[in-house]
Amino acid sequence: MLKGKGISDGIGLGTVVLLKKEEIKPEKVKVEEIQTEKEIFQKALHSVQIEIQELIGTLSGTEKEIMQAYVTILQDPTLVEQIIAVIEQEKCNAAYATEIGFGQIIQMLEKIEDSYLAARSKDIADMKKKVLAKILQQEERDVSQLPKNTILVTKELTTSDTAKLDLKNIAGIITQVGIGNSHMAIMARIHEIPAIVIKEEIKQMKENDRIAMNGTTGEIFINPSQEERNKLEEIQKEVKKQKEQLQNYKNQKSSTIDDHTVELLANIGGTEEMDTVLKNTAEGVGLFRSEFLYMNSKDFPSEEEQFESYRKVAEKLQGKRAVIRTLDIGGDKDLKYMKLPKEKNPFLGYRAIRIYLDNVSLFKVQLRAILRASAYGNLAIMLPMISSIEELRKAKNVIEEVKEELRTKQKAFREKIEVGIMIEIPSAAIMAEELAKECDFFSIGTNDLVQYTMAVERGNEKVADLYTHFHPAVIRFIKLAIEGAHKSHILCGMCGEAAGDLDFIPILIGLGLDEFSMNANKILPARKWIKELDFKSCQKLAEEVLSLSSTKEIKQKVKNYLLQEGNLRK
Amino acid sequence: MTKQSVIIENETGLHARPATELAKIAMKYPCDIWFLVNGKKINAKSPLMIMAAGIQSKTEIEIICEGENEEKALEELKAGFKTKLGE
Repeated sequence: MLKGKGISDGIGLGTVVLLKKEEIKPEKVKVEEIQTEKEIFQKALHSVQIEIQELIGTLSGTEKEIMQAYVTILQDPTLVEQIIAVIEQEKCNAAYATEIGFGQIIQMLEKIEDSYLAARSKDIADMKKKVLAKILQQEERDVSQLPKNTILVTKELTTSDTAKLDLKNIAGIITQVGIGNSHMAIMARIHEIPAIVIKEEIKQMKENDRIAMNGTTGEIFINPSQEERNKLEEIQKEVKKQKEQLQNYKNQKSSTIDDHTVELLANIGGTEEMDTVLKNTAEGVGLFRSEFLYMNSKDFPSEEEQFESYRKVAEKLQGKRAVIRTLDIGGDKDLKYMKLPKEKNPFLGYRAIRIYLDNVSLFKVQLRAILRASAYGNLAIMLPMISSIEELRKAKNVIEEVKEELRTKQKAFREKIEVGIMIEIPSAAIMAEELAKECDFFSIGTNDLVQYTMAVERGNEKVADLYTHFHPAVIRFIKLAIEGAHKSHILCGMCGEAAGDLDFIPILIGLGLDEFSMNANKILPARKWIKELDFKSCQKLAEEVLSLSSTKEIKQKVKNYLLQEGNLRK
Repeated sequence: MTKQSVIIENETGLHARPATELAKIAMKYPCDIWFLVNGKKINAKSPLMIMAAGIQSKTEIEIICEGENEEKALEELKAGFKTKLGE
């Protein structure tokens, strides 16, 4: 058995299709007929252009944008002239000239110290491969038509690959490169295809090998024994059964036994996730991470592009609330084209609201897009990284300015659009009561709140043990936020990982949290769980938890509570 | 030949998107079109070269058009710069 990192849940059983991505290194060959070589190059270039153009017709969003950039690169006269010049001067074959011509452009772009252009040079290398493959007639395998139950094994799935995939026949994806938030991973999760990232061991998988894989645990069995196969099939059946049971919880209120109702909303990173949101019958979108619009783009997304995305979300929700978090960049989230300076302590530095109160024009582009889209549904604006009331006031002033601009231009927007803040910095939790007087809702961001409360970085494995939302200080901050909100009669939600943690939910219910926002696929399990809870006993649990002084005691308390409740119900 | 200087107003300079927009305008015209930036002459029909020049905001550049329809090309490019190339 091999063990990789699961990035999309589910069990996959099938046969390996290898997608080879070998470097093509063409040799230099002297030729007599340079005219023929020029024609070979032009023809190859042309057919790659046509293929991409055809692909563009079937795409939307980021994929479409990237492919359009590819076409522009392939039409660039500098590039074409350079390659033709190499053929003429060196009297050589088209393939070699292509290698050299593209190489010169790539080198030129890499020399400029700009991470954005460095990324662009990757695109150009990808184009080079495509043109070379055409010239040498070594075409890549056609991934738009795959045999049934394919386990796709490849070093990397680029956006241009992902766009073409024959999804219905893919039982699983195994790659060497990829992360949880990559385009490929999101796509796999949306289509419920199990996916695993694995290092060097990927080479052990050969074409036509039988594979059994578990995308939840990261386990891969090559040519599995009957026993291993049976085990995974068993899990597959169990997962399917659970999923079917959860279907009963669609379109229901999320209320406890004693009729205390909360709302379950979804966290999304882009409009492509809306189908999953609706399928799981979320009661709205509690967090639209708008930074993904920026991060998945090669450049600042325009007002129109953003407007289209926000409008789509608003319309699809048909009146249900969607909370758009304004650009939360900095910290561990970099925007290559923005050229933010490297910092010693990025999480404590130039981040989110701190950046755009400085760059008001950048902020205004996004606000205009959100406000205009608010004419199409129930949108709300959420400001991240608020540490003081001045930031909230300044941001609200900018929002008012934009509203005034829109009024002058007679553009429609929701006059009473709600403006809320994230409670993710201890100072905001402590000042919750005052902040609540000047905004319309809170959403507790536990991921950062935990990080800033215990001074422990989320991604650092050495201190990972310290990182937990069961710490008594975090729970007290959550309590402060909820109480502060309720004093001003505004709603308090939570959009961090903790909101979807079934073990933590009873405490949150007990503390009086109004809104839980989580990944869409967690909504039905959470709703099922909440319907089994009793509000009064949750309140008692929360009260007891607040009297405890350590994480260990709190975890023990919750464990006892779950056991006791479980027994009561049996 | 016709030419004119303009100042780049785009806050983030001529990065990928505006570079591509410029080249698209330039490509519509049969005449030769160049940008003169810091003593360097760049083919305006090549987004790669415009990007590679790393032109910052507030830089002065000279547009040079030569050939068929040069006046019209210059006018459209000037208009493009004025509207910050749709940004």
